[in-house]
Amino acid sequence: MEYTSIRVLPLAIVVALFAVFIISGLRHRAGTTSDYGLSGVYTGRIGIGAAIASNWMSAASFLGLAGMFYLKGYYAMAFVLGWTGGYVLLLVLMATQIRRFGKFSASDFIGFRYESDAARTLAAVILIIITIIYSVAQFRGIALLVSWLFDIAYVPAVIVGALLLVSFVVVSGTLGATRNQQLQYFVLITTFILPLMYLTRKLGYFWILPQFGYGAAIDVLYKQFGFAWSEPFCNTTLFQWLALCFSLMFGTAGLPHVLSRFYAVPGIRDARWGVVWGLFFIALIYWSAPAYGVLARLFEAQNNIPFNAGDNSAADMVVLTAAGLGGLPVWLIGLLAAGGMSAAFSASAALLLSGAASFSYDIYPRLIRPDASERDKIFAAKGFFLIMAVVVTVLTLKPWGMIAEIAAFAFALAGNTIFPAFLLGIWWYRANSAGVISGMLTGMVISFAPLLQHDALPFISQLFPVTSSAFIGAPLVMIVMVVVSKLTAPPSEEMRRFLARDVHDCPES
Amino acid sequence: MNDSSPEKDVSFFRPRGATMRGEIRVITLILAGWLIAIIGSQIFIYLLEVTYSALLLDDLTFFNLPIHFWLTGQFLPLWFIILCILFNVWMDRHAASASSLDGSLRFRVRPASGEDE
Repeated sequence: MEYTSIRVLPLAIVVALFAVFIISGLRHRAGTTSDYGLSGVYTGRIGIGAAIASNWMSAASFLGLAGMFYLKGYYAMAFVLGWTGGYVLLLVLMATQIRRFGKFSASDFIGFRYESDAARTLAAVILIIITIIYSVAQFRGIALLVSWLFDIAYVPAVIVGALLLVSFVVVSGTLGATRNQQLQYFVLITTFILPLMYLTRKLGYFWILPQFGYGAAIDVLYKQFGFAWSEPFCNTTLFQWLALCFSLMFGTAGLPHVLSRFYAVPGIRDARWGVVWGLFFIALIYWSAPAYGVLARLFEAQNNIPFNAGDNSAADMVVLTAAGLGGLPVWLIGLLAAGGMSAAFSASAALLLSGAASFSYDIYPRLIRPDASERDKIFAAKGFFLIMAVVVTVLTLKPWGMIAEIAAFAFALAGNTIFPAFLLGIWWYRANSAGVISGMLTGMVISFAPLLQHDALPFISQLFPVTSSAFIGAPLVMIVMVVVSKLTAPPSEEMRRFLARDVHDCPES
Repeated sequence: MNDSSPEKDVSFFRPRGATMRGEIRVITLILAGWLIAIIGSQIFIYLLEVTYSALLLDDLTFFNLPIHFWLTGQFLPLWFIILCILFNVWMDRHAASASSLDGSLRFRVRPASGEDE
């Protein structure tokens, strides 16, 4: 497929979009570490929802999900369900209570609730590992888009993409520009759905709601090209499907940049209704993403392009493939690329900044320099941001899966460690520091075991698939936490009283 | 070590006070609706696949989409949104009534500014 003649305009659109983001963000200034990646500006519940959705949207949502549909068909629906259903868990079990704790980060919460610096430090380390893994997925998306925009190979594209990202963060930071998340969400949803409407209209389908209109393409694929989407569990078992779905849900309720939305909102009611709006805005993307995968398969079939099930990079770029083969105008393809780039940039920048803040708050002043001033912490955050960017760049050179698969691994790790720590910390008075430390360490072992044992023990890979280990892992971690907590001293009376009175609002006896 | 202070020892399975008990009840209902919808829909789709031919599954369409695509990809995310709305409405209503009854910390609602509850 030749894109060479159309890349200048898309590139100009990408640059223009980022210029708009910087200009719109110049109204607010970042001065302290709490502004450095953890806070945000909110205007009402819809604004909070847009901020949640914008924070959530990443290369995995914008590019990776369509790629999964393209390659794996119905199996990818587990991502749709996992990445939306997790918000129900988050809302009913955690959002309100997290806000009542009044802490500013996940490690802050764990350190306070479990009254343990060791637990806090371990949580910070885990959060940084999650950040790095999730950022690899984003960097892969950035690299593929850079490769497409500049017509260069993948490896140089990874390096160029990383340099662009670091430059964007440095320029934004130097100018004092913060993220205008509402604007960003509006751009993301427009750049994702507008091209889809155009494509379905061109095909003569129901274009007003392309989320339903693409169904006609499934029919055409089956009847004209013999390609069946109608056997949902022919390549995967029901267990594999449910394991991925629930693992993503547990991870959603344990991801640091998702949880961080609830520390900063002005009120509990706003937090709760913000989740509903956020879920609606997120669902708008996920209702649409399968369409790109299906349409790409249709266009390829119509153009006699053979389906290559082994080409992960092509699958991850299927959104642009559908746009190119579907004959979209160049400016619309440019918008789509700009939306993808924006999603990947904002997600990775937010994650890396959040990881840097975690280091500067939870590790640097506690383990490295106890007398660190605010200025030192900001310096440490900036330095650690660069270190993480380098680590992520190196890991992205040889990624171990598709964008969505890499992201799913980060979700599994969050689901195996942070999710049980929050859940039991909020809902069980007896959970203590020994319990949470044992639980988080067990969660780490469960998450990495299938990667490290190289099929030496096949049942490990079957029970704890790399992308889906939290399905069985999270309950197992909770059992470990319960057993260890029961065998060791309970939390202090003050903490138990705080949990009963301030978090669960139980009457004083 | 003091592990026997029931007035401070709350958990999901040992709620205390009308407020917490009510909240646990609604959370349980919402989570049941969430879990049954996910597991039930996939078992339904699985049974459709193993019971009928692929052709039939492809012909069973709803809103232009094969039934399994519509049910999982369109309906369930919408169902999750509905569950979240139901939960929030219950919490808001309960907050309004409970604040006048027991004067508890949680249910002091200041809807105008939205700054606290």
